[in-house]
Amino acid sequence: MGQEIKKSLDLHGVVCPLNFVKTKLALETLNSGEWLEVILDEGDAMLNVPRSLKEEGHRIVKVTPLGQTYSVIVEKGA
Amino acid sequence: MAQSNLDLVALKKVGMIQQKQKDFFALRLHAVGGDFTAEQLRKIAEVSEKYGRGQIHVSTRQGMEIHFVHFSQLEKARLELEEAGIAMGACGPRVRIVVACPGESTCRWGIIDTKKIARYLDQAYFRQDTPHKFKMGVTGCPHNCAKATENDLGVMGGILPGWKRENCTGCDLCVSSCPVGAIAQVDGEYRLDESKCIYCSICTSNCPTDAWYPAKKGYILWIGGTMGKVPRLGTKLKKLIDSEDELYETIEKVIRYYQQHGRKRERFGHMIERLGEDKVKEDLLDGSGDQKKP
Repeated sequence: MGQEIKKSLDLHGVVCPLNFVKTKLALETLNSGEWLEVILDEGDAMLNVPRSLKEEGHRIVKVTPLGQTYSVIVEKGA
Repeated sequence: MAQSNLDLVALKKVGMIQQKQKDFFALRLHAVGGDFTAEQLRKIAEVSEKYGRGQIHVSTRQGMEIHFVHFSQLEKARLELEEAGIAMGACGPRVRIVVACPGESTCRWGIIDTKKIARYLDQAYFRQDTPHKFKMGVTGCPHNCAKATENDLGVMGGILPGWKRENCTGCDLCVSSCPVGAIAQVDGEYRLDESKCIYCSICTSNCPTDAWYPAKKGYILWIGGTMGKVPRLGTKLKKLIDSEDELYETIEKVIRYYQQHGRKRERFGHMIERLGEDKVKEDLLDGSGDQKKP
């Protein structure tokens, strides 16, 4: 993959919308264009968090299934 | 007027239902998609206090019922409601009030104008006689909040996704978030299996680069859903219907078919079970697309 992951956040077991809030706070510590990895649960978390990130102008770079969770790499928007 | 002179069947037709306290009736009011104005609600409250006991019941079909109206007060209560633009509902073997979710007007997932369709169905069919009760529901998208599949006839909004290679960055979010596993990636190409797709629009909403886009917006028609003693979920009649005219033509066929073939007090879904799902689909879709024979 093209870039290093600046920060990683395990949100397994964290419910909506707290998982999104934590993702957003983590992104605030990054510069635009940098990558954050979050671990999200399958189901509601995977349906809601990526969509909310899109609405906030961030971009999903890669999603990898890890059993009942997913690794989601997010690029911070401008 | 003595109570023995009451025509209970005629009263039921206009939503006046005798309670187990035989001198009292529930007044079931008309509604479309559960919408009332504040002014109508004030009038309903007023009538319930004047002619009933101030007791109002919110029905499972998004309607209102004023309970404990004495039989001697029925006509007065009804006239007062009708003067304020509140019509009576329906009971017995006929088309009931139409249920709908808010749809595209306010919901971020809403794909279709549910209220417009509900108003059309209400105007075209409300209170028409059918073999048994006939319920219709309109839901904006496959999240199915208005439970289209539990109604004798259900309309659901849907989006058929299309994929644009030039926009795609290969993140795989679609593969991971499709709730029915209808999207697969093969050598960088993303493919939709339409036989699995439920037209829910999660891929088109979530896709970070809009590589998945709404290729077609339309309606999914569900027939023969019912709860009650012998529940049955609706059967999807065909693939996404993309024109409102075709939707209404198909609904017209469905209702006439039930009126023609349903036995007395046989719910539509149970009629479908009796005749066979394939046979019913074939009859309804004859010459209209999907199941056309060569």
